[in-house]
Formats: sequence, structure tokens, C-alpha cells
Amino acid sequence: MRTHAKYKVSCLLAAALVLTGCGSGPAGGDVEQDASAPLELWTRTTPGGPGEQGTIKLAAAFEKATGHKVKVTAIFDDFETKMQQRAAQKDLPDIVMNDVAQLGTMQSQGLLREIDLSKVAAAKDVSERALAAGKAVDGKQYGLPYSAQATALLIRKDWREKLGLKPPQSWADLAAMAKAFTEKDPDGNGEADTYGLAAPLSTKRGYASWYFSNFLWAAGGDFVADAGGGKYKPAMSTPESVAAMQWFRDLGCKDKVIQPGAVTMDTPPTNETFEAGKAGLYVVGPYLLPRFDKALGKDKYEVMAMPKGAKSAEVLAEGGAVYLMAGSPNQAAQDAFAAFAISAEGQKIGMEGEAAYIVQLPVNTTVDIAQVRPDPRWKTFAEAYQTSGRYAPSLPNWTPVRQASAETVNALVADCSLDLKAELGKLDTKLAAVLTEQGIAAS
Amino acid sequence: MSVEQLSPVAAPATTGAPAPRSRNGGRDGRWWIPWLFLAPAIILFALFKFIPMGNALVMSFQDVQPFLGNKWVGTGNYATMLASEGFHQAAWHTIVLAVGQTVGSMALGFALALLMEGQSRKLGFIRSAAFLPVVVPMAVVAELWRIMYHPTADGMINSIIGLVGLGPSGFINDPDASMASVIMTGIWRGAPYDMMIFMAGLAGVNRDLYEAATVDGASRWRRIVHVTLPGLRSVFTILFVLAAIRGLRVFTEVFLLTNGGPNGSTEVVMTLIYKLGLEQNRLGVGAAGAVLLFVATLVLTVFVYLLRRKENR
Repeated sequence: MRTHAKYKVSCLLAAALVLTGCGSGPAGGDVEQDASAPLELWTRTTPGGPGEQGTIKLAAAFEKATGHKVKVTAIFDDFETKMQQRAAQKDLPDIVMNDVAQLGTMQSQGLLREIDLSKVAAAKDVSERALAAGKAVDGKQYGLPYSAQATALLIRKDWREKLGLKPPQSWADLAAMAKAFTEKDPDGNGEADTYGLAAPLSTKRGYASWYFSNFLWAAGGDFVADAGGGKYKPAMSTPESVAAMQWFRDLGCKDKVIQPGAVTMDTPPTNETFEAGKAGLYVVGPYLLPRFDKALGKDKYEVMAMPKGAKSAEVLAEGGAVYLMAGSPNQAAQDAFAAFAISAEGQKIGMEGEAAYIVQLPVNTTVDIAQVRPDPRWKTFAEAYQTSGRYAPSLPNWTPVRQASAETVNALVADCSLDLKAELGKLDTKLAAVLTEQGIAAS
Repeated sequence: MSVEQLSPVAAPATTGAPAPRSRNGGRDGRWWIPWLFLAPAIILFALFKFIPMGNALVMSFQDVQPFLGNKWVGTGNYATMLASEGFHQAAWHTIVLAVGQTVGSMALGFALALLMEGQSRKLGFIRSAAFLPVVVPMAVVAELWRIMYHPTADGMINSIIGLVGLGPSGFINDPDASMASVIMTGIWRGAPYDMMIFMAGLAGVNRDLYEAATVDGASRWRRIVHVTLPGLRSVFTILFVLAAIRGLRVFTEVFLLTNGGPNGSTEVVMTLIYKLGLEQNRLGVGAAGAVLLFVATLVLTVFVYLLRRKENR
């Protein structure tokens, strides 16, 4: 009798396992369209924060302009995981506003539908650079960037003036300034407690690689090089990449001008390093300006474009994109929202406000940032983006590339006795395996 | 009540021996009653534990793509995991970390327990103070130690060891010292917990044996070795199993202190699984790693259990 009961219970459990484990049918397909269906919009920002308010403002303006209803949901922690859960239920939100770097992952998982640019009127006004960032490896448009940002150099102006230095024009000037900030006691407290460059070099979320890309690309190096036809090959051991790594590593290992503990710091502690007056140089995006204005004071630091490296002044470009998710019952409204977000009107609404703005730099070339934000520092960022902004390529999954390279950058700065070329060679082997796994390795 | 139900109880009563319980406890018609009482727990455990675990097992054999539909890849994920150098290193680091933390916490915990054994009221206060690290959230502990481990000469620990002419050490920022630093943090947090269990065990050691040993002229040290330690054997086993499992699953302190860096010197299996599964979105490979870790934990537990049973026999 008891064994019988036991058997029943285990059967039940097994059945439950089978049901949940194997309940995955074919995806997507054509969904019946309903022109009055409200749009569900997910945005990756802190719930209740200014980013959410900004998105709600944009959605309200869109509703007023087109009549389509939008429900905004802000999610920050585990955004991707939560989206995977919705994907497993075959019920994705209609619109997702998330990093442009997520394009490859979402597209290769079949979560996105292609954007027909002919249905998006304002697309002709969008900068080439931004449009290109919304294309997947197959060359098709899957995302529409609505906000851009590029990095620029933040300098402690008071320190620079105290030491009588000119703004850096080259990487040599930059290194010399970092050295002076470290050695010449720019804060005048009589202690050797200041450093040149603030750098988040933890492997967390690949920060080390993210930061280093500002230096790598300008020196002519690359993580993976485009070999044409949607194929890539590893490029971290090319002479240019080696030189870039050597230069950057010397800042930490030879000159010792990077803040101590950098190799275990992600962005929050690094930001504190800069605002607490422990480091005088920082390469970051414009989103930190409000924070540093408040913590440090607007007069204490200045913003300038990164000086030109061996090849160019290329800096990391990033930003948010509008994604039209697969399986939506209201594709017409999806198209309309994408069009509105990148239109001159949508961009201006996105940029308004002191804190609740969701558009950092406009992607629409007809919008002049100086008119909406008179602060000239924004102009500096905008110019850096337009002339030298460079996005990470839209591989099917960029994260493994970023993580592998972050580990190597972190290792080389943490352990100054490592053989640089050998480590970069090892990294290339890893990158080759990553590319092969994603089916985009050049033979 | 029926006659059959009464009979098993009635029969042995005449012999005077305790009543042996029948297999069904005489409740043939209501076998489901115990299940009914267990149902809330079983349902909750099934929903939040067993089914997800089963899902993870299924996922470990699949290329997970929730929207397009998962693809079966056989043992491909396991092959990827087992063949990767990163996994070998992470496994080795996990073992080093688990052994270091287990041994360190037990040694320190035992020493603390010996020092703080007794009835005095002041000891109660000290015991509570010593127990504090266990109740502080790990995130706070990690931030605290990050500050203490500041890698320059004016960092807190560096300025202390500087007094005796050592350092400055990079601690968590130096690939050679990072693992020891993480172990140190783990010991600081784990030792008081072990201390509490040891103290409970110490209370159970027969006082007469101490007195007998003292009469025989045993020194304090010999009393510890020959009376206390044998008396605490079962406590050691329990602590060892608990600490080893905790050690294998170590995640939070590593994630917050170093995230596996610098130069991968503190990468453990859990941080690797997190990176592969949740950051890189390769849930199948991550699930395979999780299953491997589960099997390792299971094997270890069963091994210790068997060892103990053999000893008791």
C-alpha cells in the first residue's frame, strides 16, 4: 500500500517535470493583428527613477500624437533574465528599450523582428553611425538607436592649473599629466595620495574591456577584426593591439598612475575615486556629469575630447536602442513608436529636463544639442560621438568577447610580471573559439 | 475501531515487550493522511526546488533558446564545460578555497570555543560580539574587507602589518595574495559559526573525564588532545560536511570582492557558472556546470556519510 502511494506521488512529480521541462513549441509565427492593442514597453532603467519618468513622458507624447496606448515597465536588475522568462512564455513585450550592445544576443535568440526602414519616416535623418549600430551581422536592421553617447576625457581643472599644465594634445601629454597628478601632490595636502587615471578594471560585466576599448581602437587595434561577409577574426595580438595594451599597461605597471585597487573596482567605486579627489583623469560618458557637478562642483573639472592615439581619436560609443519584439499583435503601432522615438520631436522630448532625460545625445541629425542643452560640455560629447564614436560590433553574442578580453586586461594590469604578448596570444585563441562557436569565424 | 486494528497492540501486551508497529500503523484505509500533512511542504518544495532542479538538469542537455525552442545537444554542454581550461582552474580554486576556509574556520572556531567556554556573564557578551560576523550580511562584510584590504601603505591592514615591517600587500588586487585574502575573509565570517557549534559540543563532553585526566597528571594540552577532541568527533564530522558544502558553493564573497579576478586567480565554479549562464546567456552550459557542482557535493556528502558509518560500526 505504502509503496503504491509513493509510486503515485513520484509519478505526479515526474509528470510535472516533464510538463515544465518540455513545454516549448515552435516560436513566433504570424500573430493576428489588432490595431487597437496597447503596446507593452520594457525599458532597462531603475524603477521609480528619472529614466522611468523620462520614458513615461515620451510614451505619453507618443500616445497624444498617434492615439496608440503604451504601458511602460521599468526593470533594471536581471533585465535579460526576466526577458528570457517572457520569451519562454512566448509572450514578449512589444517594445524593448535597452543597450544597443544587446542587439546580437536578442537577434540570435529570435526575439526581434526586422525593422522596415521604409515604414519609419524619420530614419533618413538618423546618423549613419547610429543606423549602422542597429544592424545585425547579417546586415539587416533589428534595432533603432534612440540615444547615443561617447566617452570623453574628464580632467581636474584645478589640479591641472595648479601644476601649470596645458590640456593634453597627445597620449604622451596624457601620460605625463597622469604622472604629474600622481607625483606632484596636486591637491596640496602634503601626502602622496593622488593618482593620475581613474579606471574601472574589474572583470565584472567586462568593465576592464569596456574601458580599454577607448584606448585600443584609437591605437588602431581591435578585439575582433571584420573579415568581410559577416565573418570576424581575432585581433588582440596584432602589432597595434599589442602596442595599445603595452601603453595602457605601462600606466599601471611602470608609471603607477592608475588608482590602487583598480583591478577589483567596477564603476561605482571608480566614480568615487574621481569625485573624492583621488584621481584627476577619467574617461567616461556624459551621463556622469550631473553626478560630478553635484559631488565635485562644476568648476573643479573640465571635459575635453580624448587626444588622438596612434591611429585616430576613436572612442567607445554606446547608447540605447528601440527594439521591436517578435510576436506583437500590433506591428503598426510598433513601427509608429520607433518612428516617433527618433523623430525630431521625440528626440527633443527625450532630452528635456534636468535629470529625467532618456536621450543623452540625439541620433537625429536635425536636432542641435546646443539648442536643448546650452551647456558647452554636452557639445564636446556630441562632437566626440559624431567624429570618433565607435560601437562594438553586433556579434550574435558580444558578451563572451568582452568578458574574455576583460579578463586579459585585468590580468596584465594586476600582474606586471606576465608576458604581454603571450597573454594576448592566449586571448586570441579564446576569441577564436568564441567566434567559431557563434559561427562567424573567418577561415 | 475494528478488531484487526486492535489485535497487533493486544497481542504483544501479553508478552510484556514494547508493541512493534505494523507497517501501516493499522491505518490501511487512510494511507494518504501523512501525505496530506506533508502536502504543503511537498508542493512548495516541488514548485520552488525540485521542478527548477529538474529543469536545470534538462537544460544542461540543451542549447537553451526560450523563444525559438530549446535544441537537444546531448552531452555537448558537459563536454564544453569539462574541456575548458577555465573550468579546471575554477574547480581547483574552489577546492583550495573550500579546504582553506573549512580548516581555518574550524581551527579558529575551536580555539575561540575553548577560550569562551564557561558560565560567566561577561563571556555571554563576548560570545555575542564574536558571533556578530555571522549575522552581518555578506555584502556588508565584503565592503568592509575591501576597505580594510586597501592596497596602499595607508590601507588599514597594510598599516598594521607595516608596524612589523611587512607589506604593503596588494591583498585582493594581487594575483598572488588574492586567494589567501578571500579565504581570510571567509574564515573571519565562518569561525564564529563553528565556535557556536563547538561550544554546544563542549557542553556534552563528560566532565569526569577531565577530572580523571587531571588526577592522572595530564597537562592542559594533553587534556585537549585526549579528552576534548575525541569527545567532539561527531561535531567535527557535522561541521566538516556543512563547511565543505558551503565551501563548494562559495559565491557571494568572491563575486563581491574580486569577481574571480585579478587574472582569474580567484575564479570559482559558482562565479564561472554565473558568468556563463547569466552574463553570457549560455544557460545550457551554465546548467551543465551547476549539475556537475551538485554531483560533486553529493559525492562528497555520501562519502563522508559512509566513512562515518564505517567508523561507528
